[in-house]
Parts: sequence; structure tokens; C-alpha cells
Amino acid sequence: MKKIFTISLSVVLLIAAVTGCENDLPTFFKFTAYEFSNLDVDGGSWQPILFSSATDIVVDAPAAVSSPEYQAELATLKSATQNLSGSQADAVEYWTNNPLIRWNEIALELAAKYNLIPPPNPDGTYTLPSPANPQGPPPFPFAHPPYTCRMLAYLSVAQFDGLIAAWHYKYEYNRPAPYVTDSSIPYAYKKNTLPSYPSDGAVIAVVSRDILKAMFPLEHEYLNAKAEEHLNSLAWSGSNTSSDIEAGVAIGTAIKTTALARASTDKMSAAQTPKPVSDAIKQEAFDRFGWSWDNMEVPQRPVGLTPLFGQVTMWSVPDVEDVRPGPPPAPGSAEFQVAANELKDLAKNLTEKQRKIANWWSDGLGTYTPPGHWNRRTKEYIIKYEMNPLRSARTFAYLNMAVMDAGIACWDAKYYYHYPRPIQTIPGFKTILGTPNFPAYTSGHSSFSGAAADVLAYIFPAEANAVRAWADEAGESRIYGGIHYRFDAEVGLAQGRAVAAYTIERAQQDGADD
Amino acid sequence: MKKIILLGVGLVCAGTMYGQTFADAIMMKKKEICFAFMFDQGKWDQYWEGTTLISNENIGTFTRNTYAPMIAYGITDKLNVLLVTPYVETMSTGGQLAGMQGFQDVNIGLKYEAFKKDFGKHRVSALATVQFATPMTNYLSDYLPYSLGLGTQQFAGRVISQYEFNKMIYVRASAAYIWRGQTEAERNYYYNNGSYYTTYMDVPSAVNYELIVGGWALNHNLRLEATYTMLNNVSGDDIRRWNMPQPTNRMEITQAGFFAQYYLKALEPLKGFSIMATFNQALEGRNMGKSTNISGGVTYQFTF
Repeated sequence: MKKIFTISLSVVLLIAAVTGCENDLPTFFKFTAYEFSNLDVDGGSWQPILFSSATDIVVDAPAAVSSPEYQAELATLKSATQNLSGSQADAVEYWTNNPLIRWNEIALELAAKYNLIPPPNPDGTYTLPSPANPQGPPPFPFAHPPYTCRMLAYLSVAQFDGLIAAWHYKYEYNRPAPYVTDSSIPYAYKKNTLPSYPSDGAVIAVVSRDILKAMFPLEHEYLNAKAEEHLNSLAWSGSNTSSDIEAGVAIGTAIKTTALARASTDKMSAAQTPKPVSDAIKQEAFDRFGWSWDNMEVPQRPVGLTPLFGQVTMWSVPDVEDVRPGPPPAPGSAEFQVAANELKDLAKNLTEKQRKIANWWSDGLGTYTPPGHWNRRTKEYIIKYEMNPLRSARTFAYLNMAVMDAGIACWDAKYYYHYPRPIQTIPGFKTILGTPNFPAYTSGHSSFSGAAADVLAYIFPAEANAVRAWADEAGESRIYGGIHYRFDAEVGLAQGRAVAAYTIERAQQDGADD
Repeated sequence: MKKIILLGVGLVCAGTMYGQTFADAIMMKKKEICFAFMFDQGKWDQYWEGTTLISNENIGTFTRNTYAPMIAYGITDKLNVLLVTPYVETMSTGGQLAGMQGFQDVNIGLKYEAFKKDFGKHRVSALATVQFATPMTNYLSDYLPYSLGLGTQQFAGRVISQYEFNKMIYVRASAAYIWRGQTEAERNYYYNNGSYYTTYMDVPSAVNYELIVGGWALNHNLRLEATYTMLNNVSGDDIRRWNMPQPTNRMEITQAGFFAQYYLKALEPLKGFSIMATFNQALEGRNMGKSTNISGGVTYQFTF
């Protein structure tokens, strides 16, 4: 019996020791409300993306602070802040005074949820997701990198324009925050002098909810619930009275309408072509260069991913051909052979460090994609540099405009050059990453990352070296993974940077740097 | 006393190989030592995506080979210690994803005979084992189905009971709880019914049940068993449609099989050796390959 006891005790101690090493598994970025490094008092004069100026949106003057209706609103707000339930207090802590961060995370989560490639049917055909029948199967959308970069661009641009309008009217009407007018109203976050009318939080909630609802039609219930909690948290935290929120909701609604109108005419709906169009694109490339890319899956996918994404309307580049690179080396040429030999050598002798880099940047199916990866990094910098919501929105907007433009430019090159992947040109070649369903040249990861890094280097100059090193590593990762040649990555990075130059030039003129 | 115990070899192979014998009721005497080498090959061309059985021509036929050297030693007549160091290789006939090979997890186990009593021709025994496994190499677990193992520490507690009649026929049942920790992926974001911003993944713990009917033949030189085993994770997510599996998945497998072991004690130069073979067929599963496994092995036992 003594032995059994000893063994049992050892078991319990061992389990306790091993369990003690368990790591926390965060499902969102943990940060608390912070004091903004700057309020950007003149932010209402910045140049919006979709409008000529903030005054294109009309917001009526609020009731005077001394008016009975506003006093009644304050009383209601005061009672809303009292005796918060556990879930209400959690909501206040979760949303923080920079709720843009949370909506960006929600967008990334939905991207990961919907980034699933359609499976073959039993007869070997493929059914594509359709916005006309979002339930599917397969469900709509397939949130692949082009879809996700575009979704993030519209989300961020709409948030940015909405907050420029909010800032404009905040400083035009100068209604003080509720806790300034009535010091008995508690405020959950860091106090500042930002006027409260219209509510910036309400603009973010409505714009984000409605853009994401358009992008993810099966998620209306989820997004409505998120927005409702967010809007309620504006009262629970003592941030805004009901008229502040109503004015914010009105701005959000106006902005999202304009943003979605642009989205409906940006030619994305034609990007996934029928097979005859896809075949014609392939034939043109073959006639021009003497090579073409084939999908190597079984059963073969009849059309690559979004062959005409390269024709989608760009944000900052006048013509996609302005950023189209020269041709890659012909398969079989000496230059090609050097690149192919490098891949074969890596497949044989991949180090653990190289494997890790390949997986670290993989961001493949089922994840938030490379644009999502760069949004996540950007979010962390926004908090590190304690940006206010307007400045945060500007950062995300230019990042995601550049990333989407880089995606468009990259896709233009992919289908113009129609360059085969390593698994097609190197007999028997095996990889540690899945080869995507589109041509090789240029590398999407590299183009996205080159653009993202240069925008971040412009906004966070102190981080320029770090972000550019990451972009280089992201490009390199595709070579280690065996799915891109070195020239795909190098030219892709340069292409992304060329795109970002247009974005940055635009950003430098929007008034925020003055 | 030419007896062999194989313990826990397959515990960590994502369920593809958990040989019948690892939970048997046989003890080695004090100072007996046993070396064993077992080779197992599991093949499948269909897998359960969640609970739906599908095939994928980009995998084709998947093969997992396990080479398991083992050593067991009798500390006392009632307490044995076992050590297994499997080497695994994976490959598939379809698609372009590279297979993997390398040492997987070191398994250490203690087996304790708590009770054994004869009632005339009837013998009843009860045993308990504890097992611990941890990766031997820095293999990548987040590369299923090609990964070598689950890449986490595992700790299992098992109870075994056996009824034997006339030293010829026996029935054995065992139940185990396998506690699993976390594995580290090489990416710091993954989706598991929501976003996870970390490189760590919780690997679900599991329960394992076995029911065995066995007997001795050929003058106690041949042991034959029919086996029925279940290895079910107690939590986890399903593989999403046409997506890669990941270590967080809820894996379940039910297998039926046969086991045979022949002791060469009649042949003087080979005294101390035994040969064995198993066959296992997956019947039901979740987030795993519908695998057919065959294995063969040799054991050598002597008193130290």
C-alpha cells in the first residue's frame, strides 16, 4: 500500500509540475486603455480618401450643454455607468478607448474563418463561392489574400474617413466630455480634452459593422452583437451620451454607404473569371513568352485564383502597368537554373531556422493571410506609440491601401507573365508548404510585405529597419518553403515598394504630417 | 519466463499505433531484461474530416512507418520499467508535400502488479501503469498528417485487469487517461473556433480503452489475441472543410485487430527470442486517417 501511495503522489506532483509550465493562449491583444500621445486637434482638416473634405458629411450642432435635454442625457449616462455587471465591465475593458484595434482583430478573425479553399465535388468539378448564395456550399466568401487585402482596405478607409468627419465636428462644436461637464460621472479610460460630440467610438462601431457585414454576409448576427456591445460600452464607460452616439452613428452610416458604393464598382466582382477567359489569359501569356502556369492539384482546378484581380481599381497608383516589373528568366535558362538549383538544395538541406521562417510567414489557408499578418504587426505598433483612434485609422488606411494596391500589381504580373511554380518546373519536387492556386511571378507575400514595410517605415521611422528586415524575411520564407524562386521574391519586394511610394506620396499630402 | 511487455509505443503516434501488448498483464521477474524491436506500418487513403470520411487525391495513399526499439527491465517481480524510442517516417503518394523522418518521443513507463490471485483454475490480476513521453527531437508537430508526433509532453495513467482460466484463455480490459500538454508551432497565429495569438497550441487529452480476448496454444509457445481499442480525445476542434489538420483537433479512433507472438524457447540457439505480428484496422474515427496497420517485431529476453 505504501508503494501505491508513493507512486500516486509522484504522479500528482509530476502532473502539477508539467501543468505549471502551460502558457497562456491569448485570443486577442491584451492591452489597457492608454493616454493618447497626441490628440490631433486639426485632424478634421485632413484629406479623406473617399470624400473631398470632412464637411461633405453634415452633422447638426448638438444641444447646448446647459439644455434640459442634454442634462437629461447626462443623468441617463450617469446611471448607465453605475453598478456594471461583470460582463459589462469586461466589455468596457475589452473595447478600450481605441476600439479600432478590436474591429481590426474581428476582421482578421473572419478572414481566417473564411480563408478555406473550395473542395472538389465528387465528380471532380469545383463549385465556386457565390455572393448570390452565400450559404453555399462552399460558403461565401473564400477570404484568400486578394479578398482579405481588399476587405481590410475598405474597412480601414471607411474608418479613417469617418473619424476625420468626427474630429472635424468635435472641434467645431466643442462639446466637452460628459465627465468634464458633470464631474460625478465616472470615466473608465484616460481623461483628455477630446470633445465628445460626435462619438468617435460610434463611428467606428457602425462603419466597421457595416463594411464587415457586406464582406461577410453570413456573419450579420455575430457582427450586430459585437457592434451592440461596443455601442453599449460607450455608455457603460462614461464616454458618450445618447446624442453623441446618434451623431456618430449618422456619420458611420453615411461613410459606409459611399465606401460600399466604391466597392461595388471596383471590378472585384469580375476578378474570378470563367474558364474561357482564364484560358485566353493563359494562351496570351504562352504566345508572348512561351511558357504558362498549370494548377497541379488533383482534380485540377480549372481556373486560378482571381485572374483579373490585377484589373481592380487601385487606390493610389494611376495605372497598374506603371508598377509592372520586367519578365522573369525563361524556364530552362541559366538564370532560371541557378534559382531552381537553390530550391533543390534547400529542399535537401533546410535548416531548422529556415523551416521556422517558412512557417512563420506562411499565413496560408485557414489563417488571416499575409495582409492580416501585417495588420497584426501594425496594431502592436499603434499601441506601442499610443496613437489616438484617428491616427490609428490613418495608419491602417494607408497600410491597407498600399497592401491592396500591391496585391493588384502583383496579380497583374502573375497573370500577365503566367509563370510556372517550382512543383511544375522541377520534376519530383516536394515542398513543406502548400503551393497556392496561382502563378509564381511575382511573389504575393513579397509584394504585400514590401509595400507594408515601406508604409510602416514612413509612419514609424524608428522601426524602419525592423519592418524592412521582416519584409525581406517574408520574401525569403517563400523560397525556403519551396513555392517561389528567388527572383519571384526579390522582384515582388521591389514591386511592393514601388507601389508603396505612391501611397506614401499621397499620405504626405493629407495634412497629417503638418 | 519468456515474457514481453510493450508499453506505450503508439500512445504518441496520433493513435496510429498502440500495440495491444502495451497494456498486457504480464510481468517480468526481478533482474530480467528484455530488448525488443518493432516495425509498424500504417497506411490510409481515406481520412475523417471531422466525422465525415473523405479521400484527397493530393494526399493519395498516406504511409506512416514506425521503428520502435524498446528495453524493459524487472526492478522487482512486481515493478517493471520500460523505455521506447520510436523513429518515424511519413510519406504520401499524392500531392507535393514532403514527408518527414526522425526520432519522435521518448516513452518511459512503470508497470506495477497490484494484485494477483489464483482460485483453483481461475486467476485474477490487476495492474497499473504510469507512462511519460516527451519529444526527443525538435520536430514540427504543426504539420499534420506528416508530422512525426504531437510534439507535447504526455502523461498517462492506466489500470488493467485480467481474468485467466486454466492458464489457457484470458480476457483483459484496460482503461487509461492520457494527459497532454501544449505543443509549440512555428507560427504565432492560428484559428481554433476563433483567433489564437500565440505559438502554443493545447493538445487535447485522451482516454484509451482496450478489450482483449486471448489464449495460449502450441504448448504455451504461441499467444494469440483479438483486440478492440478506442483512443478518443476529450476535447478539440474539427478539421475545417478541405483544410489541413492541426494538433488541436479532436482525434478519435476505434480499431479492431489481431496479435500473435511465438516464443522460440524450444530452439536452443534462439532461446530467449520471440517473434510477433499485429494487424489493426480502423473502424470509426474523427480527424484521423482510416488506417490499416501491420507490424512485426522481435524480442530477446534474459536474466541479468
